Amino acid sequence: MSGSQETRLKVAFTGKGGSGKSSIAGTFARLLARTDQPVLALDSDPLPGMPYALGIPVEDEPTPDDVVVEGPAGGHRWVLRPGLDAASFIDRYATICPDGVRYLQFGNLWGHISSLQRAQYAWSQVVRELDPDAWNLVGDLPGGTRQAMFGWAKYADTVLIVVEPTVKSMHVGRRLRNLADADWAPEHLAVVANKIADPDDVRRIEERVGLPVIGVVPADPAVLTADRAAGAPLDVAGGPFVESLHALVDSVQASYAGTR
Amino acid sequence: MVIVADLEAGIGTLTRLEDESVDATVVVVEPTPRSIDIAARAIAVADERKQGRVIVAANKVADADDERRLQAAFPDHSLLIVPADPVIDRADRDGLSPVDVDPISPAVSAIESLAEVLLT
Repeated sequence: MSGSQETRLKVAFTGKGGSGKSSIAGTFARLLARTDQPVLALDSDPLPGMPYALGIPVEDEPTPDDVVVEGPAGGHRWVLRPGLDAASFIDRYATICPDGVRYLQFGNLWGHISSLQRAQYAWSQVVRELDPDAWNLVGDLPGGTRQAMFGWAKYADTVLIVVEPTVKSMHVGRRLRNLADADWAPEHLAVVANKIADPDDVRRIEERVGLPVIGVVPADPAVLTADRAAGAPLDVAGGPFVESLHALVDSVQASYAGTR
Repeated sequence: MVIVADLEAGIGTLTRLEDESVDATVVVVEPTPRSIDIAARAIAVADERKQGRVIVAANKVADADDERRLQAAFPDHSLLIVPADPVIDRADRDGLSPVDVDPISPAVSAIESLAEVLLT
């Protein structure tokens, strides 16, 4: 479906902290972009993760406070200033990444979350109002269940829970399965099994989480090498991790082709 | 009574604690630039909010190079080194306490020394 205009992927990655969401989401975004698709990476984690996987520097304050003005009574507290809409915001403030991915974040914290409030409102409005036919969306949520359960992945019709074969990670995955009952339940909810060294781990994860596994990502020392070198896995090495991400892109694209 | 709290990943909970809530803050960091970046943010918040002594626990340290890198990143802190240890991976995988898997493994021993540091 290279270059096709009819279907845009709207995918968000969630899971326990340390499960590998950011590495997978960033690599997924870049590989999808290599199929001639316009890709917007959406980062709602107030601490840096996705930039490393995309292969760009960390930027703490990507948007100035004056992108928003006070909103109308009874509406959102902050809204994009006159003359700035979702498309022009992306054009101006979404970082250009390798492979042509555009990266939209609200910034990274050195203190209380209130310091990012205006940027968060701007980010949320852009995500609500962007042209859904213009972009494939690939989102990375912070570790844990909070943001996902509060609807931060509403933009996604596919939510992928990244789970590693540890009891804690599977436990969080099981909780995130409750997204299926939320008002903003995604059309597709599935698991990406990460750091797999033993094929039996995939069965354990599937049974414990209770959702289908759409992708299997092997344990790959190249990812650790990339982590230590602050490089994107895609830039540091090929190998099993990258191969499995190619397969994941294909699987997700096929799921859209088959059902939508 | 000793109270040990395991905070949520990141710095959110730390920013919501009242000033001077604890006697010591243990910041756990791995030898990756991303983890070092986030640990630096946690230390800044803990210092600003006067959350007791800050101890940097360097986790998953595989070799001398890892140790050097972490020490260079936190020159004002002496590091408590917790070596990379398959016992921790096994415990995580099986949902067990590392102490029950192997009470004298390198990582468990290092964590025991952390307790000693905290109690002095």
